[in-house]
Amino acid sequence: MSPVRTPGAVMSLYRLMLSTQVTRARVIGLSALGMVSVLVGFAIGHAGLADPLRQGTRFINGFGLSLLVPVATLVFASASLGDPNEDGTLVYLWLRPVSRAKIVGAAALASFSVTWPIVTIPLVIAAALTGGGRTLVIGTVAGVTISMVAYVGLFVALGLRVKRALVWGLLYIFVWEGFVATGNNTASRLAVRTYGRSVLSHITGEMFRVTDISSPWRWLVPVAVALAGLAYATRRLTRQDVA
Amino acid sequence: MTGPMIEVQGVSKWFGDLVAVSDVSFEVGPGVTALLGPNGAGKSTVLRMLCGLTAPARGTVRILGGDPRRDLALTRQIGLVPQQEVTFETLTAFEFVRLAAVLHGLDRPDEAATAALGVVELDPADRRPTSTYSKGMRQRVKVAQAIVHQPQVIVLDEPLTGLDPRQRLHMITLFQRLGDDGRCVVVSSHVLDEVERFGSRVLVMVQGRLAAEGDFHAIRELMDDRPHRVRVRSDRPRALATALLDSEAAVAVRLEGTDTVIVDTDQVSRFRRSVAAAAQRSDAHLWEVTPLDDDLESVFRYLVGR
Repeated sequence: MSPVRTPGAVMSLYRLMLSTQVTRARVIGLSALGMVSVLVGFAIGHAGLADPLRQGTRFINGFGLSLLVPVATLVFASASLGDPNEDGTLVYLWLRPVSRAKIVGAAALASFSVTWPIVTIPLVIAAALTGGGRTLVIGTVAGVTISMVAYVGLFVALGLRVKRALVWGLLYIFVWEGFVATGNNTASRLAVRTYGRSVLSHITGEMFRVTDISSPWRWLVPVAVALAGLAYATRRLTRQDVA
Repeated sequence: MTGPMIEVQGVSKWFGDLVAVSDVSFEVGPGVTALLGPNGAGKSTVLRMLCGLTAPARGTVRILGGDPRRDLALTRQIGLVPQQEVTFETLTAFEFVRLAAVLHGLDRPDEAATAALGVVELDPADRRPTSTYSKGMRQRVKVAQAIVHQPQVIVLDEPLTGLDPRQRLHMITLFQRLGDDGRCVVVSSHVLDEVERFGSRVLVMVQGRLAAEGDFHAIRELMDDRPHRVRVRSDRPRALATALLDSEAAVAVRLEGTDTVIVDTDQVSRFRRSVAAAAQRSDAHLWEVTPLDDDLESVFRYLVGR
């Protein structure tokens, strides 16, 4: 006997994860946060600033990559397996002949596909409204996407590993990434935000004072972080007790 | 399969300082087996180990000869009704059971889900999400997802909770039918009368240990033969007490108030048969016959201490 190989299993898991992650409160709350970025982007664009690309890049980095992307991804990704783990419904997935990697993969894919539009659409509109041009829009899409890839892997694993993953995730975002990693080159290399910012900076040509990551590491490290997170989540799902 | 379908050997499980299961061994074959015990006896932990949801700290669990914790494919042969009430709340009953069928790799998941819901008397066309269901309806959905893939081993943790009497009867009949089909059905319960209706083999767990195992009727007799105390209320308590002593169904009697006799008996079955006749002989009306120590806790304490 071998695990189920049909694509139907993964698609069904993916749909299930989408339906359990997308709650009205989450979508409204995070969309409201996205609307704030649109309003600020509009304000920047109409402020008559001398260098809108520079101002726009700083705004996308400061609000988008530092707040909206990590928080939105945390909300969805940590819930993808964390919620079923805590409410006991994980047993209905665990006790099936489906490889644990597929369960984790479906959770990650669902998290990414629900978070990406909620975050990227308002940030792209905001980037366009700042007057930073096509370069800033492309940089925004690339920076958001690469950051989100890493955060999804990280927070899917976090949701499975700890209770109150939201609290731990916010501590990571605000204390580690927002405070510790801003003042230390070594620490900043251990922050996902650094890589997204580096991608944004590379595309727009606007440099930040903090650590710059060279190519191809700015692309490869976030992917490696995601893979490591998902591998850990798979191992954890295989070995942990299920309620 | 000729051997036992479930083999549990010297299994212990503890959580920190709490010993949940201590050195439990048993084997289970086809048919219905009831796992009986008070709340906190370790029944759910044993059932979770049977399904591989948690590993024993010591000892081995084998299901159909395999390790349920390590052998992923073995999950095809296991169906579980967990104790927790919650299901995927956004899904309808059909979607929930169909999901189980798809994840088990069934060729015709729609037909399988429809059939399983029919077995538990739920409507596959019901478009309401399971979050709107009553506790009893959720129990039935949980049973449907556990049997949709027709597993060889079916583990049910307190499956009759929340069901009305008609549904209980229906479920008990279903479990018996599954057992008669050659499947191994393990049902946990803390309700003695419920287990009596399974009419099955029983494993009795108390304080993490296996206190007794065997045919239910043998265990029931064992329980009945322990000393019992019964309160009998009558209009002629003194005459009734004398008649009960004469019948040798009572080993001691004590009068309380104006209408009550407290009877000690070590043959409760004989007492049950004798009390009406004793009342007739003494020309007394029986108003109340109430066992004072027939709660499960005292029954189980007796089994542990014997």
